[in-house]
Amino acid sequence: MFDPYYLQQLAIGLSQGVIYALMAIGFTLIFGVLNVVNFAHGEIYTLGAFVGLLVITALAPPLLVVVLVVAAVGAAFGVGLERIAFKPFRRFSDEASLKSRAMRESTLMSSLAVSIVAREGLELAFGSQMQTLPFDQLINKPIALGPITIVTGDVIIFAVAAVMLIGLQWLLTRTRVGLAIRAVSANPLGAKYVGIDTDRTIILTFAIGSMMGAAAGVLVGLYYGAIFPAMGFVPGIKAFVAMVMGGLSSIPGAVICALLLGLSEGLATTFISSNWADMVAYGFLIVTLIFFPQGLFGAGRERV
Amino acid sequence: MSEIRRLIRPVPILLALVIFVAVPLGLAQFGKGYFFQIANLVLIFALLAASLHLVAGVAGLLHLGHAAFYGIGAYVAALLGTELKLGFLWGLPAGGLAAAVLALIVALPTMRLVSIYFAVATLAIGQMIHTVLLNWVSLTKGPNGVLLFSGIKLFGWAAKTPVAIYFVVAVVVAASIFAIHRLGHSYYGNALRSLREDDQCADAMGIDTVRLKIEVFTLSAFFAGIAGALWAYTTGYVSPTDFNFSNSILVLAMVVVGGLGSLPGAIIGAFLLILLPEVLRGFGDVRNVLVGLVMFFSILFLPKGLFGEVSALTFVRRHFGRSQNRVPGGEVGW
Repeated sequence: MFDPYYLQQLAIGLSQGVIYALMAIGFTLIFGVLNVVNFAHGEIYTLGAFVGLLVITALAPPLLVVVLVVAAVGAAFGVGLERIAFKPFRRFSDEASLKSRAMRESTLMSSLAVSIVAREGLELAFGSQMQTLPFDQLINKPIALGPITIVTGDVIIFAVAAVMLIGLQWLLTRTRVGLAIRAVSANPLGAKYVGIDTDRTIILTFAIGSMMGAAAGVLVGLYYGAIFPAMGFVPGIKAFVAMVMGGLSSIPGAVICALLLGLSEGLATTFISSNWADMVAYGFLIVTLIFFPQGLFGAGRERV
Repeated sequence: MSEIRRLIRPVPILLALVIFVAVPLGLAQFGKGYFFQIANLVLIFALLAASLHLVAGVAGLLHLGHAAFYGIGAYVAALLGTELKLGFLWGLPAGGLAAAVLALIVALPTMRLVSIYFAVATLAIGQMIHTVLLNWVSLTKGPNGVLLFSGIKLFGWAAKTPVAIYFVVAVVVAASIFAIHRLGHSYYGNALRSLREDDQCADAMGIDTVRLKIEVFTLSAFFAGIAGALWAYTTGYVSPTDFNFSNSILVLAMVVVGGLGSLPGAIIGAFLLILLPEVLRGFGDVRNVLVGLVMFFSILFLPKGLFGEVSALTFVRRHFGRSQNRVPGGEVGW
């Protein structure tokens, strides 16, 4: 009665959702603190994948080392991104300009411009074609699990996403750094007045968020076995959708919505066609926005 | 004397001279159809940027799906031309109206949203329309696109030469931009500005903000549809990739680089971001990086845009408006 085929599709959808979740965590962290959308997050993800390619072809270290190196490089990229695309627009720190739409839009556009430069630069360096990763490094060895089959990558990505989510929740709620991040997120000016180094907190947030983005990029690259300069775009949009559905500033909400998105896309692929799967995701978003304007998990929660 | 000065306004006349005399003469010197293609592209994107300016600049709504309505106009014009054999005179208004009707339908439920939620909703709408264009293969031919062979024909006169096509595009674009300009500098435009400045306050003062948003969204989609129809007829080929998210962002970048809220700024932005890649063609593959850099530095050093709203307003007041040389008994300026 219950065909294993559907279970298999559910598993595929879930693993897709976990990939979106991996991306959405960093995205939401940066949004929650700075209140700006970081359009360059997709490029951090792509850069992570390409750094991973370089590291693997040069040294071929074990997976854990690759991920750690990529995460470190990603953090550096994040700090650089913050420095060039966001910091110049924080010259004015009074309340009016912190809330003003013009400020927010200028950082939105500047991160977009940086992402264009990064993407085109990558195309210049590597060409816009797919780059294949070394076959023996891929994480797609099949594992039979009763009637369905998953690959090692599913398990690894799920584990990494879980570790990130739990680690981030621990960091945000149990440490002084997390407290500072939450304070800046709630009220940047107030945080400054009580002696928190807001600049440093923001840079740190970027470093953490970008670290996660870059790690996501290399894991997904290894999962699919091919990377290309425009690969960050679609997961970036999906992470954006998940973030909004989850209520913009709730990280667990974003993760749950990313899983929902992946599942619904998997089901749409099964019952309609993979070409129309995107419609389901965007349709979900519109329905959420109309009926739950605060997002599914946004209202009544502390920010972040 | 002042009457005469009121009638002879230098800037519009100068602009008209440049668009209708200098550019075609200059391009005809080179004698290549390619330059006219670029000129058409610039004009079409100027209209697109102007239509987005109405939503993003004047009404202050961050619209991330504008290219989709442009695409609707292009597809409607192209499909009317190929499937139903209806010419340019039908395709142009039909493209605009189809985009406007679709915008009205999607605007009714979504325009209650504010700030980032609005931006995400328009992003989703744009992506949905793009998905439909890409995957409704029986109608839109999917990724292959639609070829439109019938050129521009007006009342038995066929615009065959590049100059003639340029003139048709220039007339339509100039008329549309003039309409947008008048709209932006009317009481209606001021109501839209009040939305941008403080929509709650505008609401409290009795302005129906939701209705205004729906109206301006629809109007802007209409002009984007017109631009799309022009695009379909000048290039003769439409495909879904021309109307994807990065094109929405490109148009938004034009508006922002030029200066949010200023119509001349939006048009200058369109000129810059279309001509720059062409001028930099000699640089080969580096040009897209350079475009990104130009965008970045113009945002960094000119946060109000190349031609920001305040300077644009004084400029407009001086040259277009009547508020400075008001005649006794005449109406109050905008």
